[in-house]
Amino acid sequence: MTTSSPEVLRETTQELQRPAATSITWVGHRHGLVGRIAAYVGLVLCVLLIGLPVYWMITGAFKTPQEVYAIPPTWIPLQPTLANFPKAWNSAPFERYYLNSLIVTIFGSGFEVFFAVTSAYAFAFLRFPGKSFVFLLLLAALMVPAQVTILPNYLTVARFGWINTYQGIIIPGASVAYGAFLLRQYYRTLPREIMDAAHVDGASHLRILLSVVTPLSKPAIVSFALLSIVAKWNEFLWPLIVTNTKDMRVLPIGIYWLMVEEGTIDWGVVMAGTLFVVLPVLIVFLYAQRYIVDGIAAGAVKG
Amino acid sequence: MLEKTLSRRTLLKGMTAGVGVMALAGCAAPVAPAAPQGQAAAPAAQALTLVLWSSFTGKNGEAETEVVRRFNESHSDIQIDYQFQGSYEETAQKVTAALQAGTAPDISLLSDVWWFKFYLNRALAPLDDLLEAEQVDLADYQDSLINEGVRQGVHYWIPFARSTPLFYYNKEKWAAAGLPDRGPKTWDEFMEWAPTLVEMEGSEMKTAAFSHPDGASYIAWLFQPVTWQWGGKYSDPDFTMHMTDELTVAAGQFYKDTVHTYKWARPTKDMGADFIGGLTAAAMMSTGSMGGIKANAQFEFGTAFLPEKDNFGCCTGGAGLAILARTPAEKQPAAMTYVAFASSPEIQSFWAQNTGYMPVRKSVLDLPEMQAYFEEFPQFKTAVEQLPLTQPQDSARVFVPNGDQIIGKGLERITVQSEEVATVFAEVQATLESEAQPVVEALRAIEG
Repeated sequence: MTTSSPEVLRETTQELQRPAATSITWVGHRHGLVGRIAAYVGLVLCVLLIGLPVYWMITGAFKTPQEVYAIPPTWIPLQPTLANFPKAWNSAPFERYYLNSLIVTIFGSGFEVFFAVTSAYAFAFLRFPGKSFVFLLLLAALMVPAQVTILPNYLTVARFGWINTYQGIIIPGASVAYGAFLLRQYYRTLPREIMDAAHVDGASHLRILLSVVTPLSKPAIVSFALLSIVAKWNEFLWPLIVTNTKDMRVLPIGIYWLMVEEGTIDWGVVMAGTLFVVLPVLIVFLYAQRYIVDGIAAGAVKG
Repeated sequence: MLEKTLSRRTLLKGMTAGVGVMALAGCAAPVAPAAPQGQAAAPAAQALTLVLWSSFTGKNGEAETEVVRRFNESHSDIQIDYQFQGSYEETAQKVTAALQAGTAPDISLLSDVWWFKFYLNRALAPLDDLLEAEQVDLADYQDSLINEGVRQGVHYWIPFARSTPLFYYNKEKWAAAGLPDRGPKTWDEFMEWAPTLVEMEGSEMKTAAFSHPDGASYIAWLFQPVTWQWGGKYSDPDFTMHMTDELTVAAGQFYKDTVHTYKWARPTKDMGADFIGGLTAAAMMSTGSMGGIKANAQFEFGTAFLPEKDNFGCCTGGAGLAILARTPAEKQPAAMTYVAFASSPEIQSFWAQNTGYMPVRKSVLDLPEMQAYFEEFPQFKTAVEQLPLTQPQDSARVFVPNGDQIIGKGLERITVQSEEVATVFAEVQATLESEAQPVVEALRAIEG
């Protein structure tokens, strides 16, 4: 709403300047055309680059084993088959994996987002002794490759007796330095005056976080939550290591089970299984996307 | 080390590896201390529950699940809790971590390049007393397979899922080139055949006569027999390296020439897919690939012994079972009961037919069901007939940490990048020697 006035203003100025600007806009227009073509070429390339493997995965799920291995490869399944789906579904307890993946992702990402939102608030707005030291520690944690932490995490989890449990899968990844860092950087771009105004109105820190900072940071938080959800949903190595029995395993391990060592992989079945894994994330993405776009738009018109 | 192997793992095995356990619910023995849910009639109160870690996925995983199910059904006093732990590498890493955490299994499947590391850490139980108590007929195991798991006369690693390289050829392409329906007896013979098998499309080679895998697909394993055929070797059992020996280099030169001089072979990422797709007329591949090729190839294929040069040479690969040293003494005999069962002729017959792994027992070959299977699947018979001629691999590949990849990357530089063989092998030798140093020292501490 506040945005309408500058736009009106701009239109008015443009109208006033129009006669003088005509000759220039012709050149500008041509530039725009070239630029636009370049942009579209880039766009198409990007779509191909990202979309082709996805397309290949989807069509692969409908191909017979013979067709998967056919050379030259076929772009559209010649003898489309649905047989891969029940085959993949029945070769492992996928319904159990779905449940486990849901539990691990909801709680894992929930904790991760919660800790990121709250600790980023502390780093951005609170004053406390040793703050810069703690923040340095956080940055240091960012630099540690995940693989390095696997063994110590395993030993710790084993000592707690958490091997083969949900908390064993979830807790070690419940708080990740990355999220706190990302959101802190975003929070710092928020106008300080709003926070001060809230303070003056007597809002507590919790109130400011919930009613001021979080709504303003929605795009950043949603983006981070999405990244977190995808990461938890697709995580393979840690759940594999920390669980032992099939009733505790998650979806990516189910896909892995469809592969064959020292043999010929039935790619159609693997691709069908991969679709099981990808679809829910895709839906979440499509749903969450508008919040990101909303947020970006809201930010863009503010100035 | 963990980090290194993990990334290697993810890279190279992400696509090919696997092992599994979770397919069938039928066998589910309960986790941890609860009473096993065997048959209702079983005196469950007495049953010992043992944990087995393994690495088979897909149809192989289902077959192993069935092996465990049969065991649990026929042994009321012992129940095996079978747990899938990822690929060979992931399983080994988990065992490493679990040994430190005190959560290791009683029995574990370990691959040819992994069991030795656990032996070096004194993590494996010596098996001879247990074998004797279980009255296992060691003479009935294929010699090259059982001997690979012996150190200083003591058995530590019992063969279970073993494979060998084999020569595969596309019969249609053979016929089109007017070649006799058999594999080449020697590499010299194949040198004559190969040019007739190549199909060109313009200046591009459409169908190659032969293909080489990359390092990630274990080229070092498939090149091992070629070194022997030329009279060379990677190394001696005492870790003296022989990569720079004249004959080893000559074998490497041959690999390079097939691609860059004779131009009838090419390096590829996925030999199985190339063979099935008709992009290569022949290839050396694992016996374990046979089932998939049979299911997917749209043409008749034949199998043959590996071609000879100055000698015949063929190695083995795959995985075996070991009992962890920390398994309580009262549980170890039960663990051996399972190991003996899994490598028994009856189970090995079932296992080989369902997975394509080589039966590890000699007497399997006389079983009627195996004979019937040979009738139906003569390509498999060739593989089994080649088995007695195999020998254990050189220490450089299987006992040196990451030795397989060190040699494999070197071979890639030759076949793909056309680098000078002698130079590359000299570098590989130097790397192998420095990597072997800690192993040699650890061995001296253990074996004197």
